[in-house]
Amino acid sequence: MAFLRRLGRLVLVVFVVTFFTFYILDRIPGDPAERLAGVSATPEGIEELREELGLSGSLPERYGSWVGDIVRGDLGDSLIYDGISAWDRIRGALPKTLETLVLAELMAFGLAVPLAIRSAQRPGGLVDRWSSATAFGLLALPSFVLGIYLMFLFAVILGWFPVLSKDLPGFTDDPVGNLKGYFLPSLTLALNLLAVYVRLLRTDLIETLQQDYVMLAQARGLSTRRVMWRHVLRPSSLNTVTAAGLNVGGLIGGAFIVEVLFAYQGMGRVFIESIIGKDYFVVASMVTIIAVGYVMINFLVDILYSVLDPRIRRLSA
Amino acid sequence: MRKRLGILFWIAVLWIVLVVFLAIFRDSLPIADPVARLARSGECERFERPSWSRWFGCDNAGRDIFARSVEGARPALVLGVVVTGIAGTIGTLVGVISGYIRGLFDTVMTTIVDISLAFPALVLLIAVSVAFEPSLRVFVIVFSILGIPGYARIVRGATFALAEREFVDASESMGATRARIVRRELLPNVALPVLSFAFIGFALVIIAEGGLAFLNLSLDGITWGKEISEGRHFIVDHPHVSLIPSTVMFLTILAFNLVGDGLRSLVAPREVATARRLHIEGTPEPRSEGDDAVLRIVDLSTKLHTPGGLVEPVDQVSLSLAPGEALGIVGESGSGKTMILRSIVGAFPLADVTRAGTVEVDGVDMLRSADTVSRRTLGTNIGMVSQNPLTALNPVRRVGDQVIEPMIVHGDLSRADARERALELLQQVGIPAAERCLREYPHQLSGGMRQRVTIAIALANEPKLLLADEPTSALDVTVQDQILRLLDGLRRERGMGMVLVTHDLAVVKGFTDNVAIVYAGQVVEYGPTAEIFANPQHRYTVALMNSMPDLNLPSHSELTTIEGAPPSLIDPPSGCRFAERCPAVQDKCRTDDPVRAGTDVHSYSCWFPMSEHPVEVS
Ligand code: SF4
Repeated sequence: MAFLRRLGRLVLVVFVVTFFTFYILDRIPGDPAERLAGVSATPEGIEELREELGLSGSLPERYGSWVGDIVRGDLGDSLIYDGISAWDRIRGALPKTLETLVLAELMAFGLAVPLAIRSAQRPGGLVDRWSSATAFGLLALPSFVLGIYLMFLFAVILGWFPVLSKDLPGFTDDPVGNLKGYFLPSLTLALNLLAVYVRLLRTDLIETLQQDYVMLAQARGLSTRRVMWRHVLRPSSLNTVTAAGLNVGGLIGGAFIVEVLFAYQGMGRVFIESIIGKDYFVVASMVTIIAVGYVMINFLVDILYSVLDPRIRRLSA
Repeated sequence: MRKRLGILFWIAVLWIVLVVFLAIFRDSLPIADPVARLARSGECERFERPSWSRWFGCDNAGRDIFARSVEGARPALVLGVVVTGIAGTIGTLVGVISGYIRGLFDTVMTTIVDISLAFPALVLLIAVSVAFEPSLRVFVIVFSILGIPGYARIVRGATFALAEREFVDASESMGATRARIVRRELLPNVALPVLSFAFIGFALVIIAEGGLAFLNLSLDGITWGKEISEGRHFIVDHPHVSLIPSTVMFLTILAFNLVGDGLRSLVAPREVATARRLHIEGTPEPRSEGDDAVLRIVDLSTKLHTPGGLVEPVDQVSLSLAPGEALGIVGESGSGKTMILRSIVGAFPLADVTRAGTVEVDGVDMLRSADTVSRRTLGTNIGMVSQNPLTALNPVRRVGDQVIEPMIVHGDLSRADARERALELLQQVGIPAAERCLREYPHQLSGGMRQRVTIAIALANEPKLLLADEPTSALDVTVQDQILRLLDGLRRERGMGMVLVTHDLAVVKGFTDNVAIVYAGQVVEYGPTAEIFANPQHRYTVALMNSMPDLNLPSHSELTTIEGAPPSLIDPPSGCRFAERCPAVQDKCRTDDPVRAGTDVHSYSCWFPMSEHPVEVS
C-alpha cells in the first residue's frame, strides 16, 4: 500500500515536471524545425519536417504523443544532431555524471565519519575546532569557487591531477586515469557535502554519547573504538542519511557546474546545450531521468533508514 | 553584546560595509572604468599581475580587475537586497500563519515547502533563465519564489515554539484578536531569527546568481560569476584573473554567513560541549594484609568541571565489600549515589572529571592501572545494571549481539559458544523463549524483560562484583520485586559481591548486608544493615527512617517526605551539609565539619548522634 502510494507520487512528480519542461521549452524563442530545414527550405518543407519530428500541434498534443512514445521505450530524436536519438545523447553523458556523484558521496562520507567521530570524542578539542571552522568556511564556498581553488592548487601548482577532465578513459580501460580525471570534480562536490555531514553527524554523535547504553558499553570494558563504531555510530546516523537524500537536488546542480568547470560532457553540459538549442526530447528525457533518479534515491534513503533503525521497521510494517 | 558576538562578526560586518560602500559610490571614487580595455592605451598590460598601483591586476583584455570586482558587487547586492526583502516578507507571513493557525493550511504549506526545498533548484533556474530573457525582474521573481520556503520554515518553527508559551495564551484570554497577537507579539519575537536567516539567504542568492552566471545564463553586464567563468580559461598561466574574483565572492558570502550565524547565536546560544577528560589525582592507599575485599574504596572524591562551576558529587567516600556480600547505597536523587558507581567504572557523560583516592576491584587499581588492565577487569570482573532498562540497551542492535559481545571481546569465546552461553544466561534470568529473544530488538521487549537482558549481559563473564544502579525504580511495582529477588538469588548462587544503589529503604532492608547512607556527596552513616535499622545515629538516617511509615511494607516511594532540599553540590556549605534541614542542628554544626565517629563496624559523621542525644536537642 505504502509502496503504491509512493509509486503514485513518483508518477505524479515526473508528470508535472516534464509537462512544465515542455511548457518552458515552448517559450524559448527559435524554431528547431526551421533551423534543421536550413535557410533554403520552403514553408511547406518546414511544416512537413515539423510533422515528422513530432513538433506540430498544440502543447498538450505534443506532450501526449511524447508520453506515448516514452511508454513504448522511445525517448525521441535529437533535434540538433541529425540521426542521433535523445537516448544516444544521454547515454554518453549519464555515466560521467553518475560517476562524479558516486565518488563525491563516497569521499564525503569517507571523510565525514572519521572526522565527526574524532570531533565528538573531544568536543572543543583541536580536531573539533578545526573541522567545524573548516565546515563553516566550506559552506561559504560555491562549487565553482571551490572548484577553481582546487584546480589551482592540485592541478596547476601541484600537478597531481589533470586541469581539465575532457576525454577521460573509461573506468574499465584505465581505472587510474579515469579516477584521476574525476577526482577534482568529485572532491569539489564532496567538500560541500562534507561540511553538511560533519556538522550533523557530530551533533548526533555527541547526543548518543550521553546515552545510558553507551555508558554501559564503556563500563563493560569495550575499547573506545569499538564503542564508537559499533554502538554509537549507527544510532547517530539517521539525520545524516536524511540530509544525504535531501541534498541530492543540490548535488545535481553542483554536478552541472563542475562539469562546465572541468570541461567534460556530463548531463549538465548536454542539458544546457540542449535547452539552448530547444532540443525538446533530449531535455524532456533528461528531466525525466533526473526526476525519477531523485525520487528513487529518496526511496532508497527511506529503506536505508529502516535498516539503520529497527524501530522504524516496525512502524512501517 | 560586542563581547558575545566576537571579533569575527565585526570583521564580517566591516567587510560587508566596505563592499556596499564601494558598490554604491563607485562612480565618485577614483576607480578605473571596468569595461575599458586599458591595454590599448598602454595603461595596463593584458594579464598584468596585481601591484601597488593596480591592486588586483588586469584581465585577458587588459581590464582592471579591481574595478570589475566592484562592479560585479552591484548585481549581487541589488538582487540580494530585493530578493531577501520580498522572500523574507512573504515567507515570514506564510510561516507565521502556518505556525499559528496550523490545521490544513499548515499541512499543505509544509508539504509544498518540503518538496520545493528538495528539488534541484539549479535545474529549474537554468530552464527559466533560458526560457525568459534573463533580466533583473525575472531573476527577482524566480529567486524570491525559491527563497520563500526557507523563511517560511524558520518562522514556522519559531512561531510554534512561541505559541506554546504562556503569554500568547494569556493575551488570547484577555480577548485579543488573533490578528493582533500575530502583529503585536509573534512578529517581534520571530524578527531576530528571520534577520539571522536573511543574511544567510542573502548569501544563497549570491551563490545562486553566481552559479547561473558561471554557466553564462545570467544577467548582461559584469557579475562575479561571469568574471570567474571567463577567467578560469587562464588558470594555468594567469591564475589571478579567476582567483581574485573567486576570493572576493567567497569572502563576501563568508561575511554574510558569519553575520547570520552571529545573530543566531544571540537567540540560541552556541552549545558548550566539553571534551570527556579523565584525570586522576592523589596516591593509592595500599591494602592491608589479608584484606580480600572484592571492592575497596578509600577516600574517593570525584569532581566534575562543568560550565556552571566545579561540582563534587563524590566527597571522601570510603566503602568496602567482601566477596559475596551485598552493600546498599541509599540517598535522595542528586545525592551523588549514582556517581559513586560511575566513578568505579570510569564511565561518565561528556565532562571533565577528576577522581582522587583509591578504587580497587578484586585487587586491581581501577584509577591508575593501564587501560588494557582496567578494561579487562571491567569486562570480566564487574557487571553493571542501570536504572532505566528502556535506555540501557542499544536500540539498533539485536539482543543476541549485545549479550554475546562481552563474551567474545573478553571471554575469548567463539561466536557459537557465546550464543550457547547467551541462551543459558537468558534462561537463568528468567526469560521464556530465550531463543526468540536473542533475535529480537530491545523495543520488542517489555521493560521487565529488558532489565532481565541487562542483567544477563552483566553476568556474561561471571563477574565477582555486580553494580546495580536503582535496578527497579523504572519498572512496574509488580515486576520490581521479581527483579530484586532474581538479583538476590543470582548473588547467592554465584557468590558475587553486589552494590545496590537505591532511594528505597525497604529494598535495603530486605536485600543488603551493609548499608551506606549518602547525603550531598558524602557517606554520613555506614554499617551493617540490621544494626543501622535498629540503631540509627546520624540525624539524616533518622529522618529517613521516620519518613517511612511502616518498614515492613515495601513503600517504593521517593524520599521526599523530609522537608527542604539537599544543598547544591556546586560550592556546598561548610559544616554539616544536612544542617539546613536537621531538627537537631546546633551552631557548631554550621561551622565545623562533623568528624567520623562510632566504631569500625558502624560509623557516622554527626556532632549530635541519636544515641548520645536521644531527644531532639533544642
Ligand atoms: S551534625 Fe548537626 S546538623 Fe548535622 S546531622 Fe548532626 S545534628 Fe544535624
